[in-house]
Formats: sequence, C-alpha cells, structure tokens
Amino acid sequence: MTSTDTLALEIRQVSVAFGGARTRVAALTEVDLTLRTGTFTAVMGPSGSGKSTLLNCAAGLQRPTSGQVLVEGQDITGWDERRLARLRSQRLGFVFQSFHLIPYLTAAQNVGLPRRLAGRAVDDAKVAQLLDAVGLGDRGGQLPSTLSGGQQQRIAIARALVNDPAVVLADEPTGALDSRTAHDILALLRRCVDDLGRTVVMVTHDPRTAAFADSVVFLVDGRVAGQMHQPSPEAVAGQLAHLDELTVAGAA
Amino acid sequence: MIELARASIRRRTVTFAATFLSLLLGTTLIGSFATLAETSFGEMSSADTDTLRIIGMIVGGWGALIVLFSVASTLTVSVGQRAEEIGLLRVVGATPGQVRRLIHLETAAVAVVAAGFGAALAGPGGRGLFHLLRRGGMVDDAVPFGGTALALAATVLVVVLTALLAAAITARRATSGSPLLAVHDERSAARRMRWWRIAIGLALVGYGLIMAVITITVTGRSDNPYAAMATSGSSSILVGIGLATLSPAVLHHGTRLLRPIVPRGAAGWLAVHHNTRRPHLLGGVLAPVIVLTSAAVGTLMLVGIDHRTVGQSLPQAAKINLINNLIAAMICLFAAVMVLNAYAAVGAGRRPELDRLRLLGATPILLQAVVAQEAMLTAVVGTTTGLLASLSTTIPFSVARHEGLVPDGQLWLPPLVMIGAAGLTLAAALRTTRHRRTAQGAG
Repeated sequence: MTSTDTLALEIRQVSVAFGGARTRVAALTEVDLTLRTGTFTAVMGPSGSGKSTLLNCAAGLQRPTSGQVLVEGQDITGWDERRLARLRSQRLGFVFQSFHLIPYLTAAQNVGLPRRLAGRAVDDAKVAQLLDAVGLGDRGGQLPSTLSGGQQQRIAIARALVNDPAVVLADEPTGALDSRTAHDILALLRRCVDDLGRTVVMVTHDPRTAAFADSVVFLVDGRVAGQMHQPSPEAVAGQLAHLDELTVAGAA
Repeated sequence: MIELARASIRRRTVTFAATFLSLLLGTTLIGSFATLAETSFGEMSSADTDTLRIIGMIVGGWGALIVLFSVASTLTVSVGQRAEEIGLLRVVGATPGQVRRLIHLETAAVAVVAAGFGAALAGPGGRGLFHLLRRGGMVDDAVPFGGTALALAATVLVVVLTALLAAAITARRATSGSPLLAVHDERSAARRMRWWRIAIGLALVGYGLIMAVITITVTGRSDNPYAAMATSGSSSILVGIGLATLSPAVLHHGTRLLRPIVPRGAAGWLAVHHNTRRPHLLGGVLAPVIVLTSAAVGTLMLVGIDHRTVGQSLPQAAKINLINNLIAAMICLFAAVMVLNAYAAVGAGRRPELDRLRLLGATPILLQAVVAQEAMLTAVVGTTTGLLASLSTTIPFSVARHEGLVPDGQLWLPPLVMIGAAGLTLAAALRTTRHRRTAQGAG
C-alpha cells in the first residue's frame, strides 16, 4: 500500500466550464495533477482559482467538461451516480471546513457511517482504534454538539480513514479552527500520511497550513501556475505574492 | 425591518405557503360557521336558533382551536429551521426584540392576506352550508341567510390574533439563549420540551381519562342518552391533541419500541437514530397524524355506536350526528393539510444534512429509503398513538351504551383510518425527496 510508484489519484487535462454558450465561465482549464500513494499535497490559490472545483472533480461531485479523473487507475469520468456514490463511500475520505458530522449520530457512529452507507459491516474494533489514533478514544459515545470544533474535526478525520481510502480529500480542514487546534489537526493529517501510508490532498489558502504538505500546487484562474516541493511557510508565502508573474510565465 | 421581513417572505416560499394555506383554510371554515351563528340572531323558531347556534359555535370553536394548533406547529418548524439565520442576525447586532418583531411582522403579513382571502371564500361558503341545512330540513325553509361582513370580520380578527399568539410563542423561544449557540448548529442540540408544554399535554390526557371514568360511572347511567356523549364525545380529540403536544417524547420512545422490527441496513439504522435523537423535527409531522387518527376513529365510532343503540329512535339524533361528522371531517381535513405542511417545512430544512450524507457516499436511492423509513416509523407511532387516544371516547361510550369494551360494529374503521393516515404521511415524505437535485459542491 505504501509503495511510492502506485498512483492514488490522477487528474488528466481536466477542464470545467459553467454556464451556457454565451455566458461561459471556465473554472478549470486543462489541469494535470498526479498524486502518488502515501503523499501529502496542498492545493493553493486565491479565491475563485478553482480549488474547490478541482476537489469536487476528484470526488465525482462535479463532472469535468473534458479530461479524465482516475482513482487508483480507474477512470471515473463516465460513471453514473450510483457508482460514484459507492466510490465516495468506499475509496475516498472527506474532511471539510465545517466538519459535516451527522448531528444525531454519536462520534463512533459517525466514524463508522461510510461503511454503513457502503452496505458493509462496521468493525467496532477498527472504529475504536481510529478514535484512539485521533486522541478521542474516550469520546466515542458523545454527540457532535457536545464536542469542541477541534474534536469534531478529529472525528471527521477518523471517519475519512475508516474505509482505508485511496485518497483523503480535505477542503480547508483548519479553516474553522484556532491556530493551536489547527496545528494539531495538521500534525494529525501528517501522521495519517507518514504512519498510516494514506494519501492526502488538501485545499487551503494559508501558507502555514500548506507547509505541512510534501508539495504544493498553485492554481490561478483555473490553471496550474506552479509547484513547490518541501515547502516552507516563507517560500509558499513568497510564491503566493508573485502568482501573477507565474501565470504569465505559464501561459507563455 | 419591514424590508427584511419582505425579503424573508420572498425567499421562503414553501414555508410561507404552508402557513398561508392553513390560515386560509382555517378562516374559510371558521368564517362559514360564524355566518351560521350570526344568522341564528334573526327571526326564527327557537329550535332553529338552537340548531344554527350550536352548529356555528361548536364547530367554529373547534375550528379556532385547530387553527391555533396547526399554525403554531407550522410556525415552530419554520422558525426552528431558521435558527441559524436568526443566530446570524443576532450576531450582526439584531436585538432579541428586533428578531421577535421580524417574526411577528412576517406572520402578521401572511395572516392578514390569508385571512382576507379566507373571509372572501367564507361568505359564499356559509351561504352554501346554510342552504344545505335548509334543504336537509334542519332549518325551516322560511328562515333567510343572515350572515354579514360582521361575522367575517370577527373571524379575520380571531385568526390573525391566533396566528400572532402562535408567532409570539415561537419567537420567544427562538430568541432565548446566546446567539452564538444558535449559529453553532443549533439544530443538532437536543431541545428539551418546555414545562408548560408538558403540563398542557398531561392535563389534556388527564382530562380524557377522568371523563372516561365519569362516563362509565355517572353519565352512562343517566336517563338522558346523550349525557354519556357529552362527557366522552370530545375526549378522543382532546387526548389526541394532548399526546400531539408531547409529540417529540412520543416519537422518541415510540421509535425505540419499534426498533426491533425496522429493516436492517443503513437506511433503517439512520432513520431510527434520526427519530430518536432529533425527535422535535418529525414531531411536527407526528402531531397531526396522532390528532387525525384519534379524532377520526373516536368520533366516527361514537356516531356508529349512537346510531346502533338509540340513534334511530330519537328525533335530534340526525342533528347531533351531523355535528359530530362535521367536526370529524373538519379535523381530518386540517390534520391532512398539516401533515403536508409540516413535511414541506421539514424537507426544506433537512436538505443540508441529506447533502452531507450524499457527499459521504449515500446513493440517491438510499437517501430516499432513509426518508421513507423515517416517515413509516412516524406514521406507525402516530397512528398507534392516535388509536390509543381514540379509546378514551370509544371505550367509555361503548360501555355506557351497553356494547361492552369492544363496540359491536365498525371494527374495520380503525385499520382503514390508520392505513389512510400512514399513506398520507409516506406520500408527503416522498414528495419532498422527489425534486432533490445532485449535491452541491464539497465546500
């Protein structure tokens, strides 16, 4: 599972356009992105750069206008709603800015939910082990409303991992958290990659958040405008400040 | 504030349509019967005066009670759904008083328009009703229809005030507590029933039980065959409303009892947890299902027992049975509209949560199954509770009229009503899922 030469997610020449023939707006233009298994990638860019659209394409929530999305080598672009739903519940994990826990299910039930949705048995031992791994082994019986924001996001991460997903898709996972809690959550995501061999792609606009990743992909106006390996917060911030020049260079 | 209220009404067409519909229907019904009561003040025999006044007052009075109940429940759901928006308004600086005024203004606007249209319909409605009574020989042919704008204006006043009372109760609840709490996914917090709600519920149930004992021990032995009906006739409706007042608790415990027979699988599992841990949401649907079942079964069985035992031999029987049937029909109609209303309101509020499930990989079919099973659980709990409530009329009256604990006939009626109510609930639930689109984005 942790070998670095398998591909968890491949986005090939994906373009997404909204609106009709005359009011056409391009959200993504010929984007390429390849995620190897066991890597942590951040996608950065200003608002409206197409970050969320990219994540939605990877999740099968948004059909590309052209191009292909491959999850573990399988092209999902032509799949119907049922197959895409199965893909989401079995091969993908999600972490959202607003946690998206189901309010009437306990923490442990939320963690086991993707398995239930996939029609599989819930492995209680595995749920307990995941809750332990995110540091909430003793909170399994509590409802989300009784937990803090950081705790809810930990539950969401445990939920994202329950199916041993090919890719964990995280959309601004620390956007609603204070900096200290955010640091803990990012360290947890980092451990998911380093210790558990999971693949994580995270959308963010914060350089310090992006610096937790192995590499950063910059998006501007729906195009890939650069990539950085082993990012530091300073380097990412510097790059962000000069994104306009990058786009010009990329277009040339 | 008026600008905000207007924008808010425009954006929430479904919920406001639900409130509008119950107010419109309520005004039409009450207004029609109010013109009958007004007619009774004209020149006519005292028997005719009695007939018109009793039909007008009793049915009109019941109508007012039902309108209050239905408007309150529709408003509760619609305001509860807006907890987040209300929290947001308060966070940006709206005082609790301003938020309350906003809710009052919105309700007043909808109520005045709905009651106005309702009054316009009630004029011809009352006239039609009066001609029906005259043709049926219950009122002398020489008596003219005497309903005027006065009765209609009084009705509009009562309906608007009733709606405002319901809005005041709901608005007060929506603005108590910290605004931050309200923004922070208030809907997920287990909401406890207020003490007065529990008190009203228990009082109504207690009333029914006491009346049952009185019917069997006192009025059932009276020489007047209608004494027993007077003490037991309204029990099923009042006990039904009492249990409906306690609907979140009823749904919670009822669903737990039913858990063993719920189909295995993700849909049933989610449905059970939704109904037990967030019972106040579908409690708004459960309440009218209980009242519908208890009122229909209780009243129609009462009429049946009366008809079999003494009804055919007494002259006033036809009139009394007509009134009973009118009450039952009116309550059923209202409860049915409320089931549809409540589901429209619940459906709009649940969209984000169902989208969340979709995001995590629930198929559209699974989501439909979740909604259907929640509705089925609610329908089974509601019709069973309603049936139990109807016994508060059926058993005492049956004993008083010497048919024993189980009436001699019409035993097909309860299952028929239950199936009808359950079918209505399921249809209303599935209607809300039919128009669902694909989940919007992950962000």
